[in-house]
Formats: sequence, structure tokens, C-alpha cells
Amino acid sequence: MLWAQRIALLALGVGLLGVTLHLIRRRRLREEYAVLWVLTTLVVLGFVLVPSVLFAVARWLQLDHSVLLLFVVFLFLMGILIHYSVVISRHSECEKRLSQEMALLKDEIARLRDEMK
Amino acid sequence: MTEPEDRAEAGPALDLGDRRALAIVPALNEAEVIEGVVRDLRRYAPWADVLVINDGSADATGEVARAAGARVLDLPVNLGIGGAVQTGYRYAWSRGYAVAFQFDGDGQHRARCLEDLARPLLDEEADLVVGSRFLKPRGMTAYGFRLVGIKVLAVLLSCVVRQRVTDPTSGCRAAGRQAIRLFATDYPQDYPEPESLVLLRRHRLTIREVPVTMRRRRAGQSSIGLWSGLHYMAKVVLAILMDTVKVPVRLEG
Repeated sequence: MLWAQRIALLALGVGLLGVTLHLIRRRRLREEYAVLWVLTTLVVLGFVLVPSVLFAVARWLQLDHSVLLLFVVFLFLMGILIHYSVVISRHSECEKRLSQEMALLKDEIARLRDEMK
Repeated sequence: MTEPEDRAEAGPALDLGDRRALAIVPALNEAEVIEGVVRDLRRYAPWADVLVINDGSADATGEVARAAGARVLDLPVNLGIGGAVQTGYRYAWSRGYAVAFQFDGDGQHRARCLEDLARPLLDEEADLVVGSRFLKPRGMTAYGFRLVGIKVLAVLLSCVVRQRVTDPTSGCRAAGRQAIRLFATDYPQDYPEPESLVLLRRHRLTIREVPVTMRRRRAGQSSIGLWSGLHYMAKVVLAILMDTVKVPVRLEG
């Protein structure tokens, strides 16, 4: 791997780690996501420090190492996006239920208030 | 709201016995017409309690409906038609209503039709009764592309539920206890009218259509253009196809 490539990847890894740490310190990231992004950072740094792993896998799959890298990144992003779609769906379901419960409870309170009068 | 035919007769008496009926009226920014809708219901369906679901309106819909004599549930945020109607079904289920009607808050439905909807339910001939505009020629209230779209949907839906459906988008309906229970637990969000028929079928509940007439909506409201109409169709068709593969939920209570 060219030194320029390694430096670029190193900058990317360090930058990602910095952003993740910042978000954790500010409590803007939940633990499960913090773990995910720290692990991602470590994988990126791993490629920089021990690129021979990448080359070995690429040789085994008979792919160019850049194609393999692209493929891995693509799969990773797909996984994350599907996961987020699931999370968003779950949240909107929760939000719907909470809103409905809230409207029903408000009505219940009004009813009780009327009875007490 | 003030068509001459509406003044012709007073509210007919429907014999519910000791069963209670609820009219669920979803409304979003309908302050101008909601009073007429509630009055229409109280006049022609006095045997039903009126429950307006105020779906996060920015105007005075809730206050106007209360003043007109309806019970109003105010949703804190806008949930869309599916979430709003489901709130009504949850209310109906927990309060033991035997019959729950759906009745649009925009004034296009006629309260006089509710009696015809209720009858097959009370005779236990169906779990859900849908008011169809297309069972009698006089009831036709859709034109052009809209009509074509409804026809295409009707054919698709008829195939999916293996029963003739003529008015897949009708929001004028009556649900019995089993359908209320199902809808309180699981009600489609995006295109609830056609989708809920698939849902009912998957839970082995029965559907019946009866003829109703509807008013034409006020100008501007129903003017869906050709492209947005096609877009709508594509999404509804996809939603219906997805509904056919969903695993049925387990019902509460």
C-alpha cells in the first residue's frame, strides 16, 4: 500500500475516533452505537497498521485489494442503514402508541374531573 | 352540509338492545366543517356516541367539535389517518363498544348511511361492513383518473381477499367487536382503508359491502393530479402486497 494511502486512511481512522470520543464525552451517543463506531475505527486503523491482512484476503478471493475494500465498506454501510431503518420503524411505532395513550389518558382525566364536580 | 334532502326526516331509531355504538371521526384542520359533521351524526345516528379524533390540528377543530357535543381525543402530534383512527378503535375496545363506525371529519359521509352499515353487524353477518359508493349507480362520486384508480385497486384487492370489493378506499365503515379488537392491536398506518381489508382477511374475519351515497368533496380537496395519483397507486399496491406476507400479530385482551 502506498504511503499516501496509508496516511489518508490513518487520518480517517483518527478523525473517526476523535468524533466518536467527542460524542461519548458529550453524552450524545448511546453505548451500543459508541461501541459500534469505536470498533469501526479500530478496523480502519487495523488496515493501516497491518495491510497485509487485507492483501491476503484479497488474494484468497482473487480480487484487487481496492475492490475488496470497497466491497467491505459497502456491506458495512448497507448493514448500518438497514439497522437504522429498523430502529426508526420501532421508534415511530413507539411514538404512535405513546401519543395514542396520551390522548386516551387526557380524556380519562377530563372524565374523572367531571365526575368529581 | 345543508342539502335539502338532509332535512327530510328525523333520526331513525336503530335497535341496539344493550349494545353501544361509537362513531369514530378522524379530523385534521376541519374547524369549518366539523360542527356540521357532529350535528349530522347526532341527528341521524343519535344512538351512537360521537368521538372526534383531533389529529394534531393547528386550528380550533377540537374546541368546535366539543362545543357541538362530541367527545374529543386530542393527539399531541399528527399521527396520520391510520394512527388517528386506531386511537378510536382502542377507545372503543377498552370501553366495550359493540359497534364502531368510521366517519370522515371532512363532511363527505352521510350519517343516515350508518344504520345500513350497522344492520349486517347486528345480525352477525359480517365483522366489518364497508359503505360502497359503487354498488348502486346513483352513488357514483368519483370521476376520471380517480375512478380508474379505484377500479384497478378494487380488482387487485378483490383478488387478494378473494371476495368482491367495489370501493377499496371507502372510509365509511362499521366494525363489530372482533374487528375492533383486531384494529385496536394492529391497524395499518399508510393506506388503512384498503390495507385493513387484507388484515381482516388474514385474521379470518368477514367483510361485507353495502351501498351508500357520499357527498362530493369540496373543490380542491380531492383534486389529485395524474402523477401524484399514479404515485399513490404504486404505493398502495406495494403496501397491499406487503400486507399479504406479514405475519399476523397476536391480539391483546
